[in-house]
Amino acid sequence: MRSSRSHPVLSRFTANYGMLGVLAVLCLYYSWATFQRQHPTGDDASRVLARKLARSVDQKANVLIAAKEYEDDIRFAESLAARLEGDRFHVVESVNGEPAAIRAAIERLLAAGTKIDVIATPKSSQLLATNLKKRIPELANTQVVVPDDYWWPTFLLGGNLLGVANRIVVIAVIAVGMTMVIITGGIDLSVGSLLALSAVLTARLIAIAGGIEATPPAMVFCCLAAIAVCAGVGAFSGLMITAFRIPPFIATLAMMEVARGLALMITKSRSISDVPGSFDWLGLDADLLSVPNAVILMALIYAAAHFVMSRSRLGRYIYAVGGNRQAARLSGIPVNRVLIIAYIVCGAMAGLGGVIETSQFTSGDPKSGLMYELYVIAAVVVGGTSLAGGEGKILGTLIGAFIIAVIQNGMNLTNVESYTQKVILGLVILGAVLLDTLRKRGWRRLAGEQ
Amino acid sequence: MKAILSISLIIFAGCGRPAGSDGQGKGVEDGAKPDATIGVSVLTLTNPFFCELADAMKSEGAKHNFEVIVTSGEYNVANQKNQINDFIVKQVDAIVLCPCDSRAIGTSIGAANAAGIPVFTADIACLAKGVKVVSHVATDNLGGGRKAAEAVIEMLGGTGKVAVIDFPEVESVILRTTGFKEVISKAPGIEVVGYWPGGGDRGKSFKAAEDILQSYSDLDGFFAINDPSGLGVATAVEKAGKSDRVKIVSFDAQPDGRKGVKEGKLYATIVQYPDKIGRKTIDAIVRYMAGEEVEPEILIPCTIYRKAHADADPTLAADKGQ
Repeated sequence: MRSSRSHPVLSRFTANYGMLGVLAVLCLYYSWATFQRQHPTGDDASRVLARKLARSVDQKANVLIAAKEYEDDIRFAESLAARLEGDRFHVVESVNGEPAAIRAAIERLLAAGTKIDVIATPKSSQLLATNLKKRIPELANTQVVVPDDYWWPTFLLGGNLLGVANRIVVIAVIAVGMTMVIITGGIDLSVGSLLALSAVLTARLIAIAGGIEATPPAMVFCCLAAIAVCAGVGAFSGLMITAFRIPPFIATLAMMEVARGLALMITKSRSISDVPGSFDWLGLDADLLSVPNAVILMALIYAAAHFVMSRSRLGRYIYAVGGNRQAARLSGIPVNRVLIIAYIVCGAMAGLGGVIETSQFTSGDPKSGLMYELYVIAAVVVGGTSLAGGEGKILGTLIGAFIIAVIQNGMNLTNVESYTQKVILGLVILGAVLLDTLRKRGWRRLAGEQ
Repeated sequence: MKAILSISLIIFAGCGRPAGSDGQGKGVEDGAKPDATIGVSVLTLTNPFFCELADAMKSEGAKHNFEVIVTSGEYNVANQKNQINDFIVKQVDAIVLCPCDSRAIGTSIGAANAAGIPVFTADIACLAKGVKVVSHVATDNLGGGRKAAEAVIEMLGGTGKVAVIDFPEVESVILRTTGFKEVISKAPGIEVVGYWPGGGDRGKSFKAAEDILQSYSDLDGFFAINDPSGLGVATAVEKAGKSDRVKIVSFDAQPDGRKGVKEGKLYATIVQYPDKIGRKTIDAIVRYMAGEEVEPEILIPCTIYRKAHADADPTLAADKGQ
């Protein structure tokens, strides 16, 4: 990277966040690959359809508005009825309901001798309307009119972008703790099982604290208790690693089994769902500008972790311990304490992940979090953190997590089969890390080291 | 920058081809626009049962010009949540689920409800409250249990003593034994000596059967609630040298079970039809979209698979040739 040498700021930026480019390329690619017909809904659909009717249908036509019975379609039917009444059309009826209810309404109208010239319907009920036209002889001359499609990348629909953020929340939150642990030169394999333990503890504690009638403060307390248990397990792993010199891989592998076993024991392997419906506030609701609460929580955690790692003494200590443990010890850094703190944070983040997942499903599932440790580690490594320890960036991890989420989402949107998805995801992780290695090695060679 | 270029090439190489640029083309003729898109998420594609189910939905869907997109949760309801979210974004016309968790799937079904997308379940029901599933299509396990009792009566010629290898932890098995009891209790010549837990497992059922054969030397037959337990019993019977006297009926008609029938280890096994579940599910969707009333539960009847079926079974003939 010759150009990087002449621009130190740019060089530092690409060194730390080069993966941002990969993420951008992925987003562009999937925007192109999912450039498809979109069906307008709600008020948009009614505006487009009203214009189309005014253009193409005879005056004084009898119009039946038919749509499903959910938010968008109800808005569609209401606003279309209002628009058409102002025009020259006669709206004979506006039905929102199940297909069978719409069919019944049409048969009732026809039996009463009402002529239906046009069935106006959003795309979601077009098939029903054409089916009915085929089956009911009196509808033979009826026109089915739907709003025209428009072209736009499915990937870039607002709902999808929020979905991408939402699907990665749990992995990304755990990855904060994992980044710290990996920067110290360690690894934590227990996070997936801890997530399950936290999920079932949260659900079980809430069940004890009143089940579906539990109060919000009680629920918050139950969540904090579950997170504290997971932090405790993290502290135990940290203690094993520091006091008894057990390799992190082995210590956390053992805790992975222990935590999963406990989760299965607590629940007898059945998920617990005695949780109030309002418990989905964290995982499913969106209070601020339709951004899901869990995504906001994730953003706050990343901001805090970025501050800790780049501005605080603890952050400097973590880098120092991972860079050269001996040197860190000699310069007076409390190495063991720093290590234990890293594992506690990692455990607590896994616990928080479990709380979020319980909230998303309003039930605690002991089978949840399977293989999550690998996705979390992948996010950290793709984000540019070195498994050898000593280097890495919290925000890099966030980018890594998004890369994984975008690939998974994009492959679903482009109908890639489940098995192929695994192959591609594996290759992309490998490719991303390979790129990172090449970039670093190439940079060193150019800088004239060795 | 060169490096970034190279990684993007890797990614394009990886994703470009399978993804395609229009995201269509499964189960539908080239160039034709499907009438409807159905999003499917099954429990797993590592079990032949669900592969058959999914394949049947694809081929049946193609007849109605439906595009059927099959994904698999692989036992993880979090995967299914993501798949359902993506189906909602794609504005599919219907979603078919074999839930990985009957309760945790609730919030995802709720999300589909809120987006106006009808949800159907196949084989595994949703037990979450407050969400709407148009129809549940599954094997009639109660009826299957009745069929098993008929097979046992036929096997014993109307008189004899029979023991049951049970697995009462599983909902579908409880239905099987309930149906079995209902019919067998009306057969005057047949005495059920008892129900023993076999865990649905070959080894456990083998041990249970050994103990039963010890205590009931005049036993004539067994009903085992699935093929692995039936084959475990068969091994115990063989070991006791009672193959001539003690006969077995099992359930599922998995390849191993069918082979057992062919070799005479099992008298009969009860057949479930995953392909019929798939076809009936598509049929329910078609009827739903034509404005017809769809039953909230559609049960697929089981049949008895005897030696005559095994001898005529093409899949087993191929097996023998090897």
